Amino acid sequence: MSRRKTGLKEHLEAIATGIKYLVKPNRITVYYPEETIVLSERYRGMIHYDWNKCISCSLCAMICPADAMKMYRKKGEKKARPGINYQRCIFCGYCVDICPTNALSFTRVHDVAYEDREEMLYPPERFTQEWVSPAEKEGAKKLKVVFDEERGLVHEPE
Amino acid sequence: MSSSVVTRRLLAKEGDESVYEVFIGPQHPASGHMRFIVRLQGDVIVSVDPDIGWVHRTMEKLAETKESIKAIPLLERMTIIDSQNVTIGYVRALEKLLGVEPPPRAKYLRTLLSEINRIASHLYGMGLAGIFVNHSTMFMWCFGDREVWIQLAEDLTGARLTHSYSVPGGVRRDLPQGFKEKALKAIRYMEKRLEDYYRIFFNNPQVRARYEGVGVLKKSDAKRLGIVGPNLRASGVKYDARLLGDYGVYDELDFEVPTMEEGDAMARLLLRGEEIKQSMNIIRQVLDKIPDGPIMAEKYMRLVPPKLREQALKEGRIKFPGIFANLKLPKGEAVARAEMGHGEIFYHVISDGTKKPYRVRVVTPAFRNVILFRFLPPGHRFMDFPPIYGSLDYFPPEADR
Repeated sequence: MSRRKTGLKEHLEAIATGIKYLVKPNRITVYYPEETIVLSERYRGMIHYDWNKCISCSLCAMICPADAMKMYRKKGEKKARPGINYQRCIFCGYCVDICPTNALSFTRVHDVAYEDREEMLYPPERFTQEWVSPAEKEGAKKLKVVFDEERGLVHEPE
Repeated sequence: MSSSVVTRRLLAKEGDESVYEVFIGPQHPASGHMRFIVRLQGDVIVSVDPDIGWVHRTMEKLAETKESIKAIPLLERMTIIDSQNVTIGYVRALEKLLGVEPPPRAKYLRTLLSEINRIASHLYGMGLAGIFVNHSTMFMWCFGDREVWIQLAEDLTGARLTHSYSVPGGVRRDLPQGFKEKALKAIRYMEKRLEDYYRIFFNNPQVRARYEGVGVLKKSDAKRLGIVGPNLRASGVKYDARLLGDYGVYDELDFEVPTMEEGDAMARLLLRGEEIKQSMNIIRQVLDKIPDGPIMAEKYMRLVPPKLREQALKEGRIKFPGIFANLKLPKGEAVARAEMGHGEIFYHVISDGTKKPYRVRVVTPAFRNVILFRFLPPGHRFMDFPPIYGSLDYFPPEADR
């Protein structure tokens, strides 16, 4: 492959391209938390646990690569149930994929913050909670991602 | 180790006032935590010692302490920007040990994600090469356009970077609805956009002045030093692990492996641009040719309860068989290589017949390329150091493992 020689023409081309984008910028910024992106159907977000579907097989705890999932057993109870530690979770989704009864499922929520570390521990009872994105709860404008030939990604109101 | 390098270098110049020493890093000088000990005579570089190991995370040892399948999310953290390509070699090695072959559709899907990752990885490298010479436009553009490919990967796998997509026997997710249209739009956008890249960066005389003719790597030197990836191909050696046909469906596709003869920093940059074009060509062919069928090997799918198997087919996301939590590796050894954005990665997995691998040896492309810091800069002015660094697309967390 022979290389192109460059000179004044290329200087001008570079400047012209710069000006083109100065006039017509290709902005992809989303002003979170005023706006928020609705994530795709398969997004691997926070995990939801269905108390009634669980059969206590403990496969989720066995396959967890980060040791985030642990089985908890209450005194006097036969069944052990999974709890999760979001300090350790890497959202690989192995536990959801191996669950034989679909007791574990992904939610499309990922924007969660904690004030102290204790809060990140989810024993079985707390693990069943429903997830709502805090930005959406505050009434953020929902945007969806659309592929565009001219601009790459465009965020359109849902 | 690192301290001894420093001591040796410092002692060597005691009393010698003609040599000036510059320590670059280890606080994230550019692409990751590492340190360069640069010795200057006036403005001319006399020697450079790449001082690596600042982000060593004992990946190989950790992989030995986990059941084989659990090491996939671990190993992809070596090169988070290229996580499919960095783990596919490991998955292939496991498949060879387990004696399982992925079905054709899974191979196509792996190839698809590999190429999406390669484009994203090259854009990352090109963006950094831009900011190295203070061309922040290139940096912003590359990182913005990388988002397009990350979004595609997210649609396919459910995660932006840590895909954990390939598992022994197949892949975890089927193509989502409307993926082809999205991917084709992304390709057409990128093709137009690359023309602007050439105008504002690659053919910009200001950039040419910094990148052209510096850090020339001769073909013979590239071979002798064992360089891999785009850095090797920019010196005129046509070697690419994809051509070996060990993984993916590259033997069924029609694509070129671009090479350049010059071997300078500019050639290494331009080559990445050419590779992006080829990767888009591959994605087009994959989307056209992809066959219907299962995405997981029958050997494992039949262990999944029938109800879940149906659900998996309907939703396009597989359920793991229970055996995956305790996958026993047969006794033996397996090697596998794969082409990452940075170059060839090599895996050697030894099993003693238990659930955990006895040894996982990883040779990463960045580790093989880091030697170039010692060979390329001496003789250049100090100003030429950033362009040389930028052109090598060096990724410290990958080299240090």
